[in-house]
Amino acid sequence: MKIDPRVKLIYILLLTSLAILAKDIIYISTIVLVSIVVNICLKTDIIKAIKRISFYVSFIIFITLVQSMAVKGGTPLIYIGTFVFVSTTGIIFAVEFLLRMLVIILSGIIATSTDGREMADGMQKMGIPYEFVFMSGIALRFFPIFSDEFRARLNAITMRGINIKKLPFRKKIKLYVYLLAPTISGCILRSEQLAVSIEARGFRALEHRTMFRELKMRPIDWVVLVIGLVLAGGFLFCNYYIGSFVAIA
Amino acid sequence: MVLEDTSYIFEGGNIYFLEGKNGAGKTTLGKIIMGLLEPNSGSLLFDEEDAAKIKPADRAKKIGYIFQNPALQIFAPTVYDELAFPYEIMGLMDESIREKIEESLKKFNLLEAKDRSPLTMSYGEMQRLALAGISLRDVEFLILDEPSSALDDDGRKFLVSFLKDFSSNGGGIILISHDEDTLSNIENIKELRLDDKKIISIEKSGKY
Repeated sequence: MKIDPRVKLIYILLLTSLAILAKDIIYISTIVLVSIVVNICLKTDIIKAIKRISFYVSFIIFITLVQSMAVKGGTPLIYIGTFVFVSTTGIIFAVEFLLRMLVIILSGIIATSTDGREMADGMQKMGIPYEFVFMSGIALRFFPIFSDEFRARLNAITMRGINIKKLPFRKKIKLYVYLLAPTISGCILRSEQLAVSIEARGFRALEHRTMFRELKMRPIDWVVLVIGLVLAGGFLFCNYYIGSFVAIA
Repeated sequence: MVLEDTSYIFEGGNIYFLEGKNGAGKTTLGKIIMGLLEPNSGSLLFDEEDAAKIKPADRAKKIGYIFQNPALQIFAPTVYDELAFPYEIMGLMDESIREKIEESLKKFNLLEAKDRSPLTMSYGEMQRLALAGISLRDVEFLILDEPSSALDDDGRKFLVSFLKDFSSNGGGIILISHDEDTLSNIENIKELRLDDKKIISIEKSGKY
């Protein structure tokens, strides 16, 4: 389904904001479900989102332990004397965190379903100054450059005969600290070169920009937008007037 | 695909000058040999041993590799640390290694720059530093990707003498380059051209 980038941006804003405002796991699950439905309608690569969330598994376990130890309440599941390692509260908080991360990733995938330039046009039409729109577009393009450069440096370390996987944890950290400085300075250098190149091409030379593409809201865009706003309103009503479904004692 | 229906044996003691058009796959071939890229098909053997069983870090213990962009393989805070860190990380640093590093700094004309940040160096200096890093290890083979691209005249002369030394001690070298002028100063260099997914040997005797 082809939808105006402005509608997608509003959906992203709604989904991520509501995921933060959601009171309990049931509400967050509802947002996850809606995010999945939106992604299916937009025919995005939803499997990618599921794969990405697997990176957070160790983080989730860490949050479960910290929340169990720090937050009082719930039923202790693993404990020594009065010291609780894992409690139902900790697990609930960790699952809530996982679901919120999933919403953020799914929202990000909604953004990738539109060409970057079209998304930039949409942001500009929404009143965001062109300079900011352009900057955010460029920043997004820097992520793969950053990751490629970091990977190349990891390869360079391997080419010095060092098997990174076999290094003890402390030395591994030292190695990554070594890598960080040149990778960041490399990116700054590239951004400087890019800035010079942009200036040389006459960026902001004229006060008014003309656009090759013209974005126009079609009836389907309005319908999708109204559905989203009504659902968000209903969600907020339930969230604040009906209250939590899951009680944490 | 870089190569198709082609076999080639690179032998120690020889210097191979691998040339080819931009995008022919010279760098890709170098990376495949080092294990940084996997071949889609075919086989790569190191002394009859299947290279697929040898991890990139272990290949690097026998083969030194210099990237086309030396800035990507330099990361330590100082020139000295750049040479020392592999030994420190692997817990191999001792007095003999320190002496070797000092010798290498002298040999590659980097002694005065030893406390400098490599990030402030020119590309030519970085190429020299990358070569110094390789010279510390007892590698049997070198793969150098455009090693002379940023060197000045003195740097090029130094590179040629370094390559001759390495080769005369039994080491093999694959030079991926377009710089015929510099490499024409090396005798008995074997010129190879990567063209149309084949490695073509160009026979020339003596200097060319």
